[in-house]
Amino acid sequence: MSAPVLATRPAGRAMIFSVVFGVIYAFCFYYNWALFAYYPQVNEVHTSSLLVETLGPPILWYGWMASAALIAGVSAFIVPRGLSDRMWDGWAWIIPGAVVVAILIYEKRWFVQP
Amino acid sequence: MITTLLIVHGLLAVALLGAITHQAFSVRKRTGRQGQRSFVDQFSGVNPAVYATPIVLLFVVTCIGGGFLYPQYRLDVRPTLEDLQYRAANGVFEIKEHLAAIGLGMLPIYAAYWKTPLFAAHETTRRYLTWILTFLVWWNFLIGHILNNIKGLFS
Repeated sequence: MSAPVLATRPAGRAMIFSVVFGVIYAFCFYYNWALFAYYPQVNEVHTSSLLVETLGPPILWYGWMASAALIAGVSAFIVPRGLSDRMWDGWAWIIPGAVVVAILIYEKRWFVQP
Repeated sequence: MITTLLIVHGLLAVALLGAITHQAFSVRKRTGRQGQRSFVDQFSGVNPAVYATPIVLLFVVTCIGGGFLYPQYRLDVRPTLEDLQYRAANGVFEIKEHLAAIGLGMLPIYAAYWKTPLFAAHETTRRYLTWILTFLVWWNFLIGHILNNIKGLFS
């Protein structure tokens, strides 16, 4: 007879990565914490946080994602496995869902007259 | 080249939309009604677990395509939208890029909860993860198409 399979958490590290990524990404774009800025007009990447107007319009989205991925990746490895495995399953969708709602609320600024 | 990439990006998005919509319907609560099956029942009657890996791959590849298209948008389309004072159009695109990023970040936990064998205890988590991802995909699909055709739509 085979041993019963316990319904354990699928992956504690994946949980930490996904939860931290969403939250950190929101902070990154709100506070403009981009790891780098890409200037498509001149095809240059700059790591300086100061935007250079002479290089044309910057794209910060890649840099925000890189910042969030870096912090989420590090968090996933430094949070002890025992702690991440004990997290409630609901956080897996509640936190990303809350981040989506927060982003929608913040971005409503585009739909009102300045 | 950019037009080809845009078409491929759109086609991948269609495949992603179909896959995730099937999965989203399949995880809804069933009524247990026997007998005649409606169109929705049959649309939902798929094995949702087999969609998970294709959804992850399609999401990643579609986002990479979008990432390559973004510079062209930033240089040509966005300034045009600003000139035309389509402020809301810029806003919905801003939301699109944020939702794509959040979706990419959700993929590890989404894939983990859809890894077989599936446990009944994780059913609720799987359902809501799928529905959130479905919302992100539908938003990005619709906004991408509206922005692509915006001149014709609002001229």
